[in-house]
Amino acid sequence: MSRTIRGSVAAVSFAAAVLASTALSAKTLVYCSEGSPENFTPALNTTGTSLDAARPVFNQLVEFERGTTKVVPGLAEKWDISDDGKVITFHLRKGVKFHSGINNFKPTRDFNADDVLFSFNRQGDPKHPYHKVSGGAYDYYNDMEMPKLIQKLEKVDDYTIRMTLSEPNAPFIANLAMDLGTIHSAEYADFLMKQGKPEQFDQIPVGTGPFQFVAYQKDAVIRFKAFPQYWGGKAKIDDLVYAITPDATARYAKLKKGECQVMFGPNPADLAKMKEDKDINLLSQPGLNIAYVAFNVQKKPFDDKHVRQAYIMAIDKAAIIRDVYQGAGQAAKNLIPPTIWSYNDKVKDYGYDPEKARQLLKEAGVQTPLDIDLWYMPVQRPYNPNAKRIAEMMQADLAKVGLNAKLVTYEWGEYRKRLQQGEHITGQLGWTGDNGDPDNFFFLLGCSAARAGGQNLSKWCDKNFDDRLVKAKQIPNVAERTKLYEEMQTIAHDEAPQMTIAHSVVFEPIRKEVTGYKVSPLGRHDFYGVEVK
Amino acid sequence: MAADVTVISAPQAPPHPLAVFWHDLARNRGALLGLAVVVLIALLAIFADVVAPHAPAEQFRAHVLQPPAWVEGGSWAFPLGTDEVGRDILSRLIYGARYSLFIGISVVAVALVLGISLGFAAAFVGGLVDVMIERLMDLIMSVPSLVLAIVIVAIIGPSLTNTIIAVTIVYLPRYVRIVRAAALSEKAKDYVTAAKTVGVGRWRLMFVTVLPNCVAPIIVQATLGVSDAILEAAALGFLGLGAQPPTPEWGTMLAAAREFLQRAPWVVTWPGLAILVTVVSINLFGDGLRDALDPRLKRS
Repeated sequence: MSRTIRGSVAAVSFAAAVLASTALSAKTLVYCSEGSPENFTPALNTTGTSLDAARPVFNQLVEFERGTTKVVPGLAEKWDISDDGKVITFHLRKGVKFHSGINNFKPTRDFNADDVLFSFNRQGDPKHPYHKVSGGAYDYYNDMEMPKLIQKLEKVDDYTIRMTLSEPNAPFIANLAMDLGTIHSAEYADFLMKQGKPEQFDQIPVGTGPFQFVAYQKDAVIRFKAFPQYWGGKAKIDDLVYAITPDATARYAKLKKGECQVMFGPNPADLAKMKEDKDINLLSQPGLNIAYVAFNVQKKPFDDKHVRQAYIMAIDKAAIIRDVYQGAGQAAKNLIPPTIWSYNDKVKDYGYDPEKARQLLKEAGVQTPLDIDLWYMPVQRPYNPNAKRIAEMMQADLAKVGLNAKLVTYEWGEYRKRLQQGEHITGQLGWTGDNGDPDNFFFLLGCSAARAGGQNLSKWCDKNFDDRLVKAKQIPNVAERTKLYEEMQTIAHDEAPQMTIAHSVVFEPIRKEVTGYKVSPLGRHDFYGVEVK
Repeated sequence: MAADVTVISAPQAPPHPLAVFWHDLARNRGALLGLAVVVLIALLAIFADVVAPHAPAEQFRAHVLQPPAWVEGGSWAFPLGTDEVGRDILSRLIYGARYSLFIGISVVAVALVLGISLGFAAAFVGGLVDVMIERLMDLIMSVPSLVLAIVIVAIIGPSLTNTIIAVTIVYLPRYVRIVRAAALSEKAKDYVTAAKTVGVGRWRLMFVTVLPNCVAPIIVQATLGVSDAILEAAALGFLGLGAQPPTPEWGTMLAAAREFLQRAPWVVTWPGLAILVTVVSINLFGDGLRDALDPRLKRS
């Protein structure tokens, strides 16, 4: 009992010390995060909370430029892709140091190809000594079909890695910039293996990143300090602290008091107050996501594109954005959000026009009133704050043009399964991007995903669209790909297999004294390059 | 002769049972109040088309989350304000009364019919039938009622009809048990034996001889059952398993408005109050009924 009390007293005084040091040193940045990470090995995790906690420590071969989805060199200085697109050769950066002195580990060598082999083989090779450590579930690696795609991974020399793919795949490089491509120290892994405590590898991280790990107390705090020999130059702040604060209102209170400088996920209800607050900058950026309604084109009368267009015109999208998204959303006219390259701004949305909708339905020979269904998710999603409310508004709008929509929902897992089987007539869903590549969105309308059980909920298979999709996935040239994707957006607009509703907006309040912070469209929180005045 | 006829004035007839009942009930002010409110709500529900200012599903997009009329920013076009998609809350509450009363009454009606049949079967047939029915009811009662209702709705799908089915199943045991107990105790009484000796058939014995004498506890249970059913249906609606949108069911309305608890409290307050007032009134009335009908509680 007394030990617990002493423990919590220690925790409190520790937290106080952290706060005091905040006040003393101007070069400390405190981030009010939302939860405790499961561990510090990104390959094992899927939640943003855990991934964010490991990011300061690590690098990938290629990385997303801060605040964008552009892929830039990381631990690989450059890479060559063979003409057939199947062989990728990475030239690794030289003189990259690993963090030293953590968990009594002193690296004896710089980063090299062995570390790359270790990091990928741990995930891909079931016989790898570290494969089963800490549960051994590598969800992202498997979901991105990496085991199938990476046929061979070879070390050419200490600073060259060659990957052979089973087929050309243009988004592959962007996939490597995701957290599954995180590079660990093979030497540190051996060091712990020799000591017989490999599980520490995932709890006390050693990487090449801009910050090195100092301490972690579950449900309280994670502390990092700047790594002076970071290959990209020392970070502008000296200490980075994650103050774990699960409650959004408490985070806001801490931010107001200056106990933290950046906070995660504000309460929508607090946004108005934050905007007025002179000490706080409320940053926002459209999220890398889309909420849509899929029309099942295999069911009459939605096999007729004019009916689909009529449905879209019948709906007052602006009202949905205003009343459901409450300002935290942007009406969507394309499947991809404007933050992704190849966004076709020339596409013109259909607009709210119930009169025209009625006329189109009449021309299409639809007998009104017509009974249809409209499915809505039972849960809140990042791209859709309240699917039920959207459904209710759409139901009222559709009734005005003679479409009587019955609202349907199921338990979340069941809901997705039935939608993918194509049981719906019209149904809501959405998508959040992983890597900023357009293919990561457009495959949702491709023919191979249109099979029963596939993720193409419209079951729409258009040759014009699909040919471009397949081609764009295989050619590496960005300008050519951009052109194809732009054409695909025009086709998708004209054929209207789905009604795009909105891209939600991500809000991040930061204090005025923080400069250089950028909101990540991928939902990351990056602190390298951020300064505190 | 005629003069000799003495007109014997009939001894004062005992008061009609209904009059006695009313006299007993009227002594209980709470019960009367409850009855009055229930009648008022029932009238509102029946004449909803005439009384409600707007259609329950009509969305006034220009008036989303408008406060009640007496609060700044409100208007008398929407006396109790509007909800999250601009529907008039008063109209939805009035129409919602229909659903709530309908659910309450139909659950009780179905449960009564089934309960009386099963209870009588258990009491009069006895033996294995009795054991089977009783154990089945034990089984249903062993699971918390809301959990069981959720399971049933999860299996047969959420809708108003299925809510009624689920709540009926959950509340069936009480009726079966009460009917069985009442029937068993009546069965042993002399008038039943007398009826048997004169050769009354089994069906007549059950429904004409015994049933009227078991009616008092059944009525009390049924009245209180209405309010329980309304609450249970509202709970299912709150969990998104009851009536589906845009049906203005009170529990569903309550759930939809949770996030506005601080910004627009009226959206949550009114449906909550409606449920509260209805349930309390029915319970007050039910308690009064029990006092009036239960011979053991009767003051003499």
